[in-house]
Amino acid sequence: MTSTQTLYQAFATGLGVDLAQVSDELAYNSIPQWDSTAHMILIAELENQFDVMLDTDDIIDMSSVAKAKEILAKHDVQFA
Amino acid sequence: MKALCGYNVALNPIQQTDLEMIRQWRNSPAVSQFMLSQEDISTEQQQAWFNKLQRDNTQQHWLICYKQQPIGCANIKACYQGQQLSNAQAIEVGLYIADERYRGNIVAFAPTLLVNDYCFEELATKQLLAVVKNSNQAALNYNEKLGYKVQQRGELLKLTLTAKDYQQATVTIKQFLSR
Repeated sequence: MTSTQTLYQAFATGLGVDLAQVSDELAYNSIPQWDSTAHMILIAELENQFDVMLDTDDIIDMSSVAKAKEILAKHDVQFA
Repeated sequence: MKALCGYNVALNPIQQTDLEMIRQWRNSPAVSQFMLSQEDISTEQQQAWFNKLQRDNTQQHWLICYKQQPIGCANIKACYQGQQLSNAQAIEVGLYIADERYRGNIVAFAPTLLVNDYCFEELATKQLLAVVKNSNQAALNYNEKLGYKVQQRGELLKLTLTAKDYQQATVTIKQFLSR
């Protein structure tokens, strides 16, 4: 599984949505499922899947799937 | 007036130099639509409100700052006539996020956590109160995530929060905002 596939699956699991709904364009508050509670579950899922510890600024800034890629890249996760 | 700092935000007592920015926020439809009054606030009214605050020990108002930038306002008011904040049995908490980038964001919880901690731990109040328009579903959800329970329904919803419910409801969110 590529890093992007792992990321998409983590979003689908964390937000409780179909994998098909997840794309780089998916943004915070753009779907009812991605609210502040789901955001925390999502962060926990991402930390678990990528074995990273995100700081509070990253948690606040993670406003889309594309932004998640940028943030995880700082933690040496590589996306094609 | 006490400044509060924590959960990655700072709450600074409102200063004279903040008044025009706050007036413009408060008059913007995005903010005023959820206020009890949508009447435009003039510069004179804003100044009179600020002057009154300087000698009013029943309420306190802060500017919310994130990364040193102002993003909104928070306030507390003693609920019962004759009580000051320092001996209030119940305190009403109010907040709005004016910067749309952070509206609905997890950071919007940070100022409320700071204010609630201050009310329960330093002011030793027994109960917090929030009043929300019934059309403001986002604010209702927000308050319920903090542990508030709806006590009265109508055009305005009245919600209350005890220290115990607050502590139980905010364990996870405090962890995320305290790293």
